[in-house]
Amino acid sequence: MNEPDPAPPTFEQALAELDRVVARLEGGDVGLEEAIALFERGQVHLRTCRERLALAQRRIEELTAEAPPAPPPF
Amino acid sequence: MKTVGGRRVWALTEVTAALARRLDDIPSVWVEAEVHSLRRRNNQQYFTLVDGHQVEASMNGIVFDRLPMPPADGSLVHAYGRIEFWAERTQIRMRIERIEPAGIGLLLARIEELTARLAAEGLTAPERKRPLPMIPRRIGVVTSATGAARDDFLRNLWARFPADVVLVDVPVQGDAAPSAIVAALDRLNAMPGVDVIVVTRGGGPLEDLMAFNAEEVCRAVVASGAPVVSAVGHERDVTVCDRVADLRVSTPTAAAEAVVPDAARLAGHLEACEMGMIRGLMRARGAAEERCERRATQLVAALRGRSAAAGARVAGAEGRLRPAVRRAPQAPAARLAVLEAALDRGLGLRLHDAAGRVDAAAGLLAALSPRRTLARGYAIVRTGGGRPLVDASTVCPGMRGHIELADATVAADVREVIR
Repeated sequence: MNEPDPAPPTFEQALAELDRVVARLEGGDVGLEEAIALFERGQVHLRTCRERLALAQRRIEELTAEAPPAPPPF
Repeated sequence: MKTVGGRRVWALTEVTAALARRLDDIPSVWVEAEVHSLRRRNNQQYFTLVDGHQVEASMNGIVFDRLPMPPADGSLVHAYGRIEFWAERTQIRMRIERIEPAGIGLLLARIEELTARLAAEGLTAPERKRPLPMIPRRIGVVTSATGAARDDFLRNLWARFPADVVLVDVPVQGDAAPSAIVAALDRLNAMPGVDVIVVTRGGGPLEDLMAFNAEEVCRAVVASGAPVVSAVGHERDVTVCDRVADLRVSTPTAAAEAVVPDAARLAGHLEACEMGMIRGLMRARGAAEERCERRATQLVAALRGRSAAAGARVAGAEGRLRPAVRRAPQAPAARLAVLEAALDRGLGLRLHDAAGRVDAAAGLLAALSPRRTLARGYAIVRTGGGRPLVDASTVCPGMRGHIELADATVAADVREVIR
């Protein structure tokens, strides 16, 4: 039974979790069932990371340092 | 000196020597003047110090070249040196040892005082520094829209990562700069998604960097909700803003590298992660198959043992049959061959069935294994004698036992029984 985490993980969290999963899987000594569970969890984190990267867009908004307009004098 | 017709006459050299002696008594002094007519000869730097009056001056060329802020024609300087008298031409010159822009001492003293005060408040402490997000949603940039720093930053930023930037154009030097920088920081902090702010400008003389030594700017950096990266001036100019920022880097290019990851490398890392996971999964499957295979082989071997026993029984039966066959010669020897073949066939079928059942059983076994349960975080508690503990009826404080985990067994003492 897997309870989904309510807060979406940040990129850093997903990446760290992914690295942990990969290290565990690559370390060997993992039963088939656990390996499948790890693989599925890793896929979720991998998707999170890739989605975040795909969202990145080169954009620029240039603002001038003008002070907000002064209130009109009485 | 000689006396000629009642008149005392001095040799010119006696006069200049007397002058030289007087001037020798003047100690080294600091003077404030403008530098003019900079010229170079024989590894000596010559110039004229002007302040209504003027004095020729010289300085060692190597020392001059290494000045952090060498004066240009017309700069107002503080120069330290002593008066030299060139007797042959009755010329006075100043031999300069140190020279720096006028007012710099005052500026440095002000910077030092502010740094000490902010440090005393703990605002420059390393533990105050916040980590930068790995991928900021938006990057706030406070710099001059016309400065080279803006272009350096954006070019290097976008070469690494397609980031979303909000740039606030501010004057980065002059009297209007500090309040504009403070307003820009406030504005960026009020914008949604700005996860990191970069404050940057290129190098310049100390006077030009003073906006980043202004107390209001430093306090706005400290108060910023988003972590601030300060990239002001060159490597050797450290401003107070640099000291209170969450991260100080020496150039706009370094700031770009600090705020975003290299997208290509990151994609490569994700790729490697995926490959690693696939390799791991395949290896786990291979290992599981091998375990089943081994059990099947063991079972088949066990059955083969029985088949040998069966063979012996056949041989025994044959022994008993032979007299009968002899008694009934009409019974063809072929009959025996058919019987033997049937026996073999039956044995073969049973072997085949058994191999299939072994495979299924091996899978079930693996799934039900207590080891598997342990790997999920459960533990087996055993008494000191090694018997699994299934209820607390025999448990009393002080009893020793073992807790068996997936990878090790832990010795344990019972402290209390809570019912």
